[in-house]
Amino acid sequence: MFLKRQMPAIIAIGVGLFILFGHFINNPNIQGFVNNDATQWFDIIASFAIFLGALNMLKLQVVKVVKRSKGWQYSLLAIFGFAFAIFAGFFFRGANYITLTEINPHKVNILVEYISTIQEVDDPVLMASRIEGSLASYEIPKIFISKATAESFAVSLSSIANNVTLGVKPWGAHVQIKGSLFSWMFFKIFTPLSSTMFALLAFFVASASYRAFRIRNFEATLLLVSGIILMIGRVPVGELVPWWLVSTLIVFGIGALIAPFIPNKKLLFGIIIGGITLSSGIGVLLDWNLAVNIPGFLSLPNISEWIFDYPTAAGSRAIMIGIALGTIATSFRIILGIEKPF
Amino acid sequence: MNNKLLVICASTLIVILTYWVTYGFWFITGNAPTFVGIIIVSATIFYYIDAAKSGKEIYLRPISGLKAIEEAVGRATEMGKSVLFVPGISDMDQVDTVAGINILGHVAEITAKYETELNVPTCRAIVMESARESCRESYLRAGRPDLYYDDMVHYISDDQFAYAAGVNGIMIREKPAACFYQGKFYAESLLLAETGNSIGAIQIAGTGSASQIPFFVTACDYTLIGEEFFAASAYLSNKPELIGSIKGQDIVKLMVMILMTGIFVLDIFRQMGLIDFNILILLGLN
Amino acid sequence: MDLLKKIFIALGSMDRRFIFLLVGLSVLLPKLYPDLFTLPIKPSSHSLRVFDEIDALEENSKVLVSFEYGPSTKPEIHPSAIALLNHLFSKNIKIYAVALWPDGNFMATEAFSQVSDKYGKKYGIDFVNLGYKPGGEAVVKGLASDIRTMYTVDLLGNDIDSIQMMQGVSNLSDLDFIFSLSAGYPGSKEWVQFACDPLGIPMSTACTSIQVTDIIPYVENNQIKGILSGMPGAAEYEQLVQSALYDRSVTVEPGKASINMAAQSMAHVVIVLLIILGNITYYLTRKSSNKGGI
Repeated sequence: MFLKRQMPAIIAIGVGLFILFGHFINNPNIQGFVNNDATQWFDIIASFAIFLGALNMLKLQVVKVVKRSKGWQYSLLAIFGFAFAIFAGFFFRGANYITLTEINPHKVNILVEYISTIQEVDDPVLMASRIEGSLASYEIPKIFISKATAESFAVSLSSIANNVTLGVKPWGAHVQIKGSLFSWMFFKIFTPLSSTMFALLAFFVASASYRAFRIRNFEATLLLVSGIILMIGRVPVGELVPWWLVSTLIVFGIGALIAPFIPNKKLLFGIIIGGITLSSGIGVLLDWNLAVNIPGFLSLPNISEWIFDYPTAAGSRAIMIGIALGTIATSFRIILGIEKPF
Repeated sequence: MNNKLLVICASTLIVILTYWVTYGFWFITGNAPTFVGIIIVSATIFYYIDAAKSGKEIYLRPISGLKAIEEAVGRATEMGKSVLFVPGISDMDQVDTVAGINILGHVAEITAKYETELNVPTCRAIVMESARESCRESYLRAGRPDLYYDDMVHYISDDQFAYAAGVNGIMIREKPAACFYQGKFYAESLLLAETGNSIGAIQIAGTGSASQIPFFVTACDYTLIGEEFFAASAYLSNKPELIGSIKGQDIVKLMVMILMTGIFVLDIFRQMGLIDFNILILLGLN
Repeated sequence: MDLLKKIFIALGSMDRRFIFLLVGLSVLLPKLYPDLFTLPIKPSSHSLRVFDEIDALEENSKVLVSFEYGPSTKPEIHPSAIALLNHLFSKNIKIYAVALWPDGNFMATEAFSQVSDKYGKKYGIDFVNLGYKPGGEAVVKGLASDIRTMYTVDLLGNDIDSIQMMQGVSNLSDLDFIFSLSAGYPGSKEWVQFACDPLGIPMSTACTSIQVTDIIPYVENNQIKGILSGMPGAAEYEQLVQSALYDRSVTVEPGKASINMAAQSMAHVVIVLLIILGNITYYLTRKSSNKGGI
């Protein structure tokens, strides 16, 4: 019972207070622990904890496959994906490379041609000059996933250089090297899948906006109007919206605001028409048609920038302060042991 | 004057004096405003926690999203469907996730009472373990440990969009009647909320991610905005010490607002040439 | 008139899949027929600020570029990365790359492989990629105090002290500028809070459109010198870099963000039209239900 209840609380309170006040204590060991070691402890624990999660996920998928539950084929895909990533990361480097030493300077162009058969060469002249600058030792800028492919290509290069050696990139670096199996998996499978999921947001934003942006009350109307201004103002189409359209919309907006106070609809209509005529007339007189000296408030991109710089920044700051205070209070409760989420 | 208030004020002054005297010796230089701020905030919150524990009545305005939690679980029970709880995509080092796990504890207690199925997909292994502990405790508290099983809290993936895809798949296949999104979210928030909307679930969201709040407000039935989310565990538990901390937090906010207004006015006066001293330099903010 | 009302009400309750189809077409058509959808891109003040800050750096300045984005946000931020590398390499500025996200390594590798060859830049002399380190703000704090506590080898496994351009660089204070390519946490905020503001190092950022509201207070406070917001910001910066480099007789291909802006513009217009349609339907539906009530 002590291990399950009191011990976690003691650890949380002790470490919490130590880290909090450690920021202020003038001791290099404490500063080092607080600034570096404490976070690294968490990273190490989290890295080992990944096994728990991965095993749990595997267990659930395997059970689905064994029991032939509904959609078990997708579980098979999940298990295969998991196994493939482990294989590409831990068991199969797939990052073979070829190094040529003592290259024959008269065969540099032939070498460039050979390389262009296995990968795209944007600038053969630049590549040739690079090879000429490294005749003593040059690494072919191509990573081969399989050793067999590397070997067969190496055979074709034997007449070009004195020595053709095969190498494998070190463990760890093989994950990052472009062309390796893991890198291939990342760019050809993971990247399109992630991009697709993110792209779904565009469709969901459209359906959410369509459903939610309604003129129900003043706040909803404000949300709608600022949303439309920002959506159009932030893209190049905003530059194409003419000043007179913006001034007309502003007049309509003012009309909507004063409408509850003017019961006579004909008078209201007259005011709106008068406002539109006046603003358009002023624009024509001041040569706004020539797209010079247009006031900032008649340009949608300028209005959207103003919304970003002032109301958005102010609201964002207020929410940030509120969230920061909430975070402080929650942290305080955890440090004092009042709240025990563990 | 209240004795306890005197004690707290005296302790605060002693700590600040100690800091001032040993500044540069025991304490590193350059962090004075932060240190003083922490001490004052801690003292304020501590005072109100103490006041609440002593029986002082503290009013908290009703938050519709929190009142709707039991209603949402009840709806799921009536429809014979499950409750989905998404604790965000961050790890336990984020306070949002901790707050989300606190709320999970309360939701789990209600689902235990109503015998409703609960599904908690997690994005991090440590969160999975914490959530399991929280659910196990809640089911035990509700007197229904037999209904708890480990796999109700399960891990999907560390990757943001792989997790979102997994949760969306759960929503579309199992069609939970109530979806809770309580934690730290990023771009996947709208994916989750819209999918939940498409299956007709009642959705209650809460997050400390300011940029995701608009998406939740648009797509969910109830949203806990900013501090409401952090105050949720206090509301739901009704424990005096937690409610006292909310009051303390609000008083700190009032102090911050007064300080900001004062600094703003004094700086305007300085820029107008009415006063000489620079309040920003005095407070170490410049 | 009644027929028109009925049409609007019917349109207003259309299946969301039609909305998805319309949005999909609005993105697809400009990609299929780009010549029909050419739009002018005018840089905003924030993008201009970023450009001016980078352009004011002198030759052989040292700039740290931090890659904090992955494949999902690549379309929004990668164009900024490419334009930035073009800008920096054209001015012979030394680039020190780090990543606070694991995916950032791949993005950095790809960006450098796309750009460095064009300017004849050599690894270890003109640019170095130190790679990813877990820890978020702890990494930023570590770099601020001593780079070698965080990194002993670079991404390729080379000893950091054997890299020519790492000579004389012990912490962030030895650098002239920091640029964060950020899609979330950890990202620009952590750089401002733990490095740039305390040490007084100028910084700019390119981030996703969603993140702009979080970052704009720092931009307004001059803690971040300008911001490239999402794909529009990337397109604006690409245009500025392309025209500046053209003046310096360097040809740069049109960036991906500029090419995609037409698609984004059309999508925005379609969404706005749908919102207006939705509101007309809402108004008509409410009016007819009010009349029914009387």
